Amino acid sequence: MKTRIFSVLCENVPGVMMRISRPFTRRQINLDSITVGIEPTGLARIILMFKEDDRMAEFMRRVLVRLEPIVSVEVIEPERSIVREVTLLKTRKLNKKQLLKMVQQIERAGGRVLESKNNMVIAELSGEHDEIERVINALGPKILKEVARSGQVLISRVK
Amino acid sequence: MVKLTGSKALFEALKAEGVKHIFGIPGGAIIPIYDALYDVHEIRHILTRHEQGAAHAADGYARALGKQGVCMTTSGPGATNLTTGILNAYMDSSPVVAVSGQVSAQALGTDAFQEADMLSVMLPITKHNFIIHRAEELPSVVKLAFKIAITGRPGPVHIDLPKSVQVSKADFKIPAKIKYEKSPKLEPEAGQIKKAVDMLTKAEQPVIYAGGGVIWSSASAEVVKLAEMLGAPVTTSLLGKGLIPEDHPLALGMLGMHGRMAANLAVTESDVLLAVGTRFSDRSTGDVNCFAPRAKIIHIDIDPVEIGKNVHVDLPIVSDAKRALTAIIKGLRSHARRGRTSKWIERVKKLRRELAPRMDYDEIPIKPQRVIKEIMSVLDENAIIVTEVGQCQMWAAHFCVMRKPRHFISSGGLGTMGFGFPAAMGVKVARPKCNVVNIAGDGSFLMNSQELATVVENKINVVSCIFNNRYLGMVKQWQDMFFQKRRSATCLGKVPNFVKLAEAYNAWGDRATRPSEVAPKLREALRCGKPAVLDIPIDPDEHVLPMVPAGGRIDQMLT
Repeated sequence: MKTRIFSVLCENVPGVMMRISRPFTRRQINLDSITVGIEPTGLARIILMFKEDDRMAEFMRRVLVRLEPIVSVEVIEPERSIVREVTLLKTRKLNKKQLLKMVQQIERAGGRVLESKNNMVIAELSGEHDEIERVINALGPKILKEVARSGQVLISRVK
Repeated sequence: MVKLTGSKALFEALKAEGVKHIFGIPGGAIIPIYDALYDVHEIRHILTRHEQGAAHAADGYARALGKQGVCMTTSGPGATNLTTGILNAYMDSSPVVAVSGQVSAQALGTDAFQEADMLSVMLPITKHNFIIHRAEELPSVVKLAFKIAITGRPGPVHIDLPKSVQVSKADFKIPAKIKYEKSPKLEPEAGQIKKAVDMLTKAEQPVIYAGGGVIWSSASAEVVKLAEMLGAPVTTSLLGKGLIPEDHPLALGMLGMHGRMAANLAVTESDVLLAVGTRFSDRSTGDVNCFAPRAKIIHIDIDPVEIGKNVHVDLPIVSDAKRALTAIIKGLRSHARRGRTSKWIERVKKLRRELAPRMDYDEIPIKPQRVIKEIMSVLDENAIIVTEVGQCQMWAAHFCVMRKPRHFISSGGLGTMGFGFPAAMGVKVARPKCNVVNIAGDGSFLMNSQELATVVENKINVVSCIFNNRYLGMVKQWQDMFFQKRRSATCLGKVPNFVKLAEAYNAWGDRATRPSEVAPKLREALRCGKPAVLDIPIDPDEHVLPMVPAGGRIDQMLT
């Protein structure tokens, strides 16, 4: 099933996340990513990602539009938008070989090391979701102790 | 600007909305509001005996009157007791405004006495819900709640009111108008209307399938007009019953699982199905893959979520029903072609004639069909039938001939046993001059029979006709038909004595055991000047027939 991206503009009030996520829960749709940012207007912009077929995706769009605190729901085509994710990575205590692998992977992916102490490293990586996934999988749990990910944020391209 | 407590401001706001009646029960967390009510003379409060009764009464009131019904309870158990009634209103798109007390703001989240997280509980079962945190917000929230409840597709709205808000004083200004951002699209697209007109003029076997949305849009006359112009028979959902006079030559009666065979066959044979203000519920469509298999489907609904939800629609029209139908009628006027459907009308009339249900049984115990026949012989077209849920409801839906919208009130989507009696109470308060008859089963009636105390105390003279078969009849019917007659936990035994039960509450009670007794005793019940219960022992083995098994094709009914 195709990945769907909804950019939901809504009131920034308690409970709004519950109102938005509940209809997905009810229909057993897993939200792969939720990110929230506050717009200059004071409204919240929530980016939702999930996988569904065309019919259900359109149904969910209408369900969301119907909710009172929601101002608009924009369906975003991944190819017509810029999508980014920020990830912070913390390693275990590493041997020399692992340390080298870590630094190489991070630098090749355009990330940078933020802190390095006692053979442990904290690095930052930002970019496309798939690239970040690739790096995390390549390093694996023997190197990585902890991963903090922003979820995917996006903005539609200038027309 | 005036300085008032939140409680007083609530009633100012309710008065500004024109509220005349509230159904409710006080409790610890709403005492300040009830204290303010003590000085309010413009609003009649009806003290129900269970909060579920208050919710159903507000629902019945709303459906009978076409405006918001209000119920009010305390926090915790009072508020949770509303939930069945609120969900019932949500499923049937009824504009109930529910207010419940809540523990003080500073106690929220501490598991305080009678605290329930009603914001979370009500969220999935209301059109929208609020908790008020600052007293100043109260008038605008009430105004918005009433607006949301009635605008577009109606639905219930809940307001949670912490005790601290009820007692705090603030400057209140009741807004005369409120900006509402979510107003639905009312006008149909001209292009879609043109397409609909084209499809309908080309149709040789058109059928109109109309639901509760037509009633809320006050578009009954337009449906009848369009049916006559097109020569299209009309079938309705349960909630659409009465939108076309059911003795009209083009009226087919209800569609679906317990619908009229003629309606099910006509929809199956139709080449264009115009659905309006209805949601293609599974009880109406049966197996969706075999529903109206030859037809192009036009769907008019004000709620875009309903379009294409259950069945594939060829032409969606998101619009108010009345406006869309009016536009189609106007479009048809400029088309000269008529009379293409005369063969179809003959066919439909033949179906109707041949498949007319039999009602003239003379047996004792009385057959339910005969009971309905006798009841209808007593009532005029202004009488309002309210039903409980189950066999009694489906007999009423199948056999009662209704002639006006808002005169047949029943729990559709949720199928709530216990709805009928308190709803009838709300209907009678809304329409005191109409005879109101609750068609009940013995199982359903017992689920809210405590409201006998309310109707007697408040002189709300409704008549409950209990189709007493000593069973949870519809479940028993399914057990008989699909579970090898293994009647697990459906027999209710022989108690209670409903006549004595009525008399215990100082209501009128009597029993009709012969067919010839039903009409005279119902007349007496209607005239007695008291709420009344007419116990009618019926044949316990009688099934609601014909019927479509769950998920079956609607043209293949078991008879």
